[in-house]
Amino acid sequence: MSGAEVDAATPAPPKPPVAPVPAAAPPAPSTPSISLSNGDLDRFLEQLLSESCKPLGEEEVKGLCEKAREILMEESNVQAVSCPVTVSGDIHGQYHDLLELFRIGGTCPDTNYLFMGDYVDRGYYSVETVTALVCLKVRYPHRVTILRGNHESRQITQVYGFYDECLRKYGNANVWKSFTDMFDYLPLTALVEISIFCLHGGLSPSIETLDQIRELDRVQEVPHEGPMCDLLWSDPDDRCGWGISPRGAGYTFGQDISDQFNHSNSITLIARAHQLVMEGYNWCHDRNVVTIFSAPNYCYRCGNQAAIMELDENKNYTFLQFDPAPRRGEDHVSRRSPDYFL
Amino acid sequence: MADEKGSQPTCSEESASVIPQKYIKTNADLQTFLSSRTFAELWAYMLRLNSAVVDKKCSSVSLSEAASSVKSIVNMLKTLAEWAKEIEPTQQASRFGNRAFRTWHERLCKNVESLMRSIVHTWDGDYSKETGRSEEHVARELAEYLKTSFGNETRIDYGSGHEAHFLVLLYCLSKIGVLHESEDEEVVLIVFPAYLKTTRLLQTRYMLEPAGSHGVWGLDDYSFLPFLWGSSQLLSSNRVLPNVIYDEEALGELRDEYLYLDAIAFIREMKTGPFAEHSRMLHDISGVNGGWKKINTGMIKMYRGEVWQKQPVIQHFLFGALFRFGS
Repeated sequence: MSGAEVDAATPAPPKPPVAPVPAAAPPAPSTPSISLSNGDLDRFLEQLLSESCKPLGEEEVKGLCEKAREILMEESNVQAVSCPVTVSGDIHGQYHDLLELFRIGGTCPDTNYLFMGDYVDRGYYSVETVTALVCLKVRYPHRVTILRGNHESRQITQVYGFYDECLRKYGNANVWKSFTDMFDYLPLTALVEISIFCLHGGLSPSIETLDQIRELDRVQEVPHEGPMCDLLWSDPDDRCGWGISPRGAGYTFGQDISDQFNHSNSITLIARAHQLVMEGYNWCHDRNVVTIFSAPNYCYRCGNQAAIMELDENKNYTFLQFDPAPRRGEDHVSRRSPDYFL
Repeated sequence: MADEKGSQPTCSEESASVIPQKYIKTNADLQTFLSSRTFAELWAYMLRLNSAVVDKKCSSVSLSEAASSVKSIVNMLKTLAEWAKEIEPTQQASRFGNRAFRTWHERLCKNVESLMRSIVHTWDGDYSKETGRSEEHVARELAEYLKTSFGNETRIDYGSGHEAHFLVLLYCLSKIGVLHESEDEEVVLIVFPAYLKTTRLLQTRYMLEPAGSHGVWGLDDYSFLPFLWGSSQLLSSNRVLPNVIYDEEALGELRDEYLYLDAIAFIREMKTGPFAEHSRMLHDISGVNGGWKKINTGMIKMYRGEVWQKQPVIQHFLFGALFRFGS
């Protein structure tokens, strides 16, 4: 790499977050806390977790996101999770495949889940996907963990589809706003039984210890650079050291970096998502790092399998692979002329 | 997009000024560009090409009878496709975006000026007199637009912004007289399909990521112009109707004649799953009231709104002496 390395021992200079869309000042937590009964949530889940999934109404989403925010704001940047738990990677609005994931991995609350971000964008059913996952989080807060991915961001969702989808499905951007305001509260990483470190992207040259992550102020739009950005954007690489990421955000990190990080933090494994891998999971860095990707046949064309990682009570892992959910054939879907064609 | 400033020759002021550069950093820059004469001319050229193929099948022109400039551009595009066939994708487990695309792109960069010179040379006019620049400088500027027409080698992606650079190249070739108005039909129905063929080969062989794609909510992962010019080809057709996109037999029979149908057939080859789901916009468009006329007008509005007026796309644009930023 030419001049791309960043000295691992030198933290990147402090970089002010540059958010073109200002993170909305969190509305003062409404008191008393939102009343969403378990009965309400079970009714939502029944409505959502079926093949004929019907999205919630605008006001219901608003209430759900407010409740989720109350729960998430109590969680740590390095959220502690215990075994057994099943770890999942990117979903990207592939709702029918999420239902397949639950068929393969088991349903909540019988199976505990840790989702590593990227619920929205690219697919057709981001609204349904993220609503269902947030609903599960609110209904079973101690059994479900949802982390932030690089797509859980105002700026990214305006480019990659979630914003367009909300406009299309609700006729306005209120639901997009409810969700993206809530995304600011999602934890950045999780630590399973103090030994398996889970996050969406990867490591950061500004971070050597988990305590440094714990100190970050995460309640903001994903910045363009700096440690919080890196955790959501970085990728492992077969070259040593730090490298410039082709993505234009985050870094690539080599095995020397993951060796050092895992050793200093007494971690046995980094589980992360963020990259398409053809088998659904992929080891690298001499099994310091595993990539898990849970959107089969990504974007309807990649032909990849998806996978989830089951961790039993003794932290033994099993990968479960799955293929796209069988879909009914093309039936008559109504058409609505896009504005440009009216 | 990779910053290419590092590779600029700095031997003379003139040579530096012909290497196209990025100018658009703010929305105000974008507005300056959109209200410039450059953009007005480019847009008029795109519309002229659109008019040239109204109700024309691809078989209404043939390569063997085409202008020599058209033949030389097609030959160049074929050469680029040959390289892609020669350069094997590398074995890699993760991510789409095969690194062998960078090898292909390196070969393009190494040869691009001589490729461009052979095309520019098909015009027998006096460059210095007509453009105030030597043939070599013209070739060098156009080489940069060609380099950007096939995707970004750092991110290993491709999208309508790269396609737009190819339009800029065609516009410049027309402006300097390599391509003439009488060849407009050949440009759309011979040159552009050859370009599409090469870009699709690159997309599939090196698994290029769609650049800035709106996923299922965009028109297409990679292309725009096949739908725009392609709808012009069908403008008054009452035999081929917009819902033909659901008739796989007709698509197979007619794809060689109509760019729109070819683009739909290509999506169907590449994607599995319900069409109305993975290509919702095209599904919706197939029901537009007013048929192909309305579709063509809509495509023109949408191309302007979703490509040329979008800062995330146009901020990567290169401007030089022929395709100028500002006045």
